[in-house]
Parts: sequence; structure tokens; C-alpha cells
Amino acid sequence: MMSRNFTPEQDLIDKLSVGDGPALEELSRRYSFPLYSYCMTKLDSPEDAKRIVRNIFISLWENRDRLPENFSLSVHLYTEVRKSVVQCINSKLKTSTNIQSIERKVIPGFSIRELQKARQPVQNSSTQKSRYYLPKITNRNYEEHWWNKLMPAINLKDLKQGLQSMLNMW
Amino acid sequence: MTTEVLKEKTGRYLRGESVPSETRQIQTWLSCTMDNKEILPAKEKTKIEAEIVGEIHAYIAYSTFNPEPRPWWKKITAVF
Repeated sequence: MMSRNFTPEQDLIDKLSVGDGPALEELSRRYSFPLYSYCMTKLDSPEDAKRIVRNIFISLWENRDRLPENFSLSVHLYTEVRKSVVQCINSKLKTSTNIQSIERKVIPGFSIRELQKARQPVQNSSTQKSRYYLPKITNRNYEEHWWNKLMPAINLKDLKQGLQSMLNMW
Repeated sequence: MTTEVLKEKTGRYLRGESVPSETRQIQTWLSCTMDNKEILPAKEKTKIEAEIVGEIHAYIAYSTFNPEPRPWWKKITAVF
């Protein structure tokens, strides 16, 4: 059974900056799998994905005493993993290793259709239903709303004339 | 796109020399994670996580007991 640590992230970052190894281990335990999963979707290579994630945390450890004042770990990891993925593809293409895998996995992702998909807003899946009942909004006419039947429509011109006549009376 | 074009584009992107359209293209590709997402069983996830954390742990332990020798100029600046 895996033990869980509920220490806030900022506390772990503070500990990390003074060289606390277990703090880094806890941070890596929290973020390693999402980062690995992201690398896998892009590279389809478990070895590269593991190496990228490991190197990101190792470089964080090596630069622990140079972390900026308002350091955001999630932003840092997001930036680093993206950069590392591009570096990995570039080095593979330079050394001509696993070209077939890149042709099969990476190149189709750069097609116009795939890139347009990425620009579309995120939509809920069809299986996910709203928890709350929302009445269907229909386009009704002005007269169809019950409150407009009880109250006569106020015309701005009539209102102005009414006010002027009241002022004239005073 | 061919692998040769991709190599050129990624190279320019890493050097910070890519034109805005290339940057946008690469960043859009990096942001697109909708498809091809494999759902791994929890056991597999735990195994992968343990492997990565283990490697990080080993590195930290090694670097703690075998710190890198500081260059002479760092030793002098530390005195001041």
C-alpha cells in the first residue's frame, strides 16, 4: 500500500530549495506519471519518456539553490517537458534513429486536420451528462411572456411626454 | 511534412530562430493531447512511477554522498 503525503506543494518547494531530497521525491511522485503519459502520447517510446521525466527532476535538483522567488512548479514542468519532447525528436532526426516511429507517430500530428482539432474548444463527451436540469430556452415573442401581459410596454417617448406634462403642471 | 522538414523546423524552434507560424505549428502540436491517449491499469502506473522515482532517488543519494568537486574559483568566491 502506497503511503500518501498531503504536504502542500509550496512547502515541498521550500524544502527542496534547501536541499531536502525526500521533498523532491514527493514532488516527482506527484508529477512523474502525468509527465510520462504526456511524453508517451508525443513520442510513443517508454525509454525516452522515462528519461525525459527523470532528467527534468534531476535538473530541478541541481538548480534547487537558484529557484526564483515566486517559482511555479507546474509552469516549470510544463515548459520543460515540452522543450524536452522537441529536443528528443530533433536529436532522433539528427542521428537518424527510429525515423520510422517518427514518421508513423509524429508526422501525422502535423497535418492541418490534426492541428485544427487542437484549436477547437474543449467539449464534454457525449456520455457525460449535466448534473443539473436546465429548462430549454425557447425564443418567445415579447407578448408571450406573462409579465409583459400584466404590464403595458413602456415607450421612451411616452415617458418623456408624461414627465414634461408633470413639470408643466408644477 | 517530411522528416527532413521537421528536423529543420524543430532545430530552428530550439535555437529560437523559427518564424511565428512555425512556432505556432509546433506549439499547437505540443498542446494537442486529445487522441491516442492510452489508459493504463493502476498496477502499471504504479510500476512506472516507482521506476522513475527510484531512479531520481538513486541520483539524489549518489550526488549527496559524492558531491561534484567545486572549481577553484568557486572556493575562492565562497570565502568572500
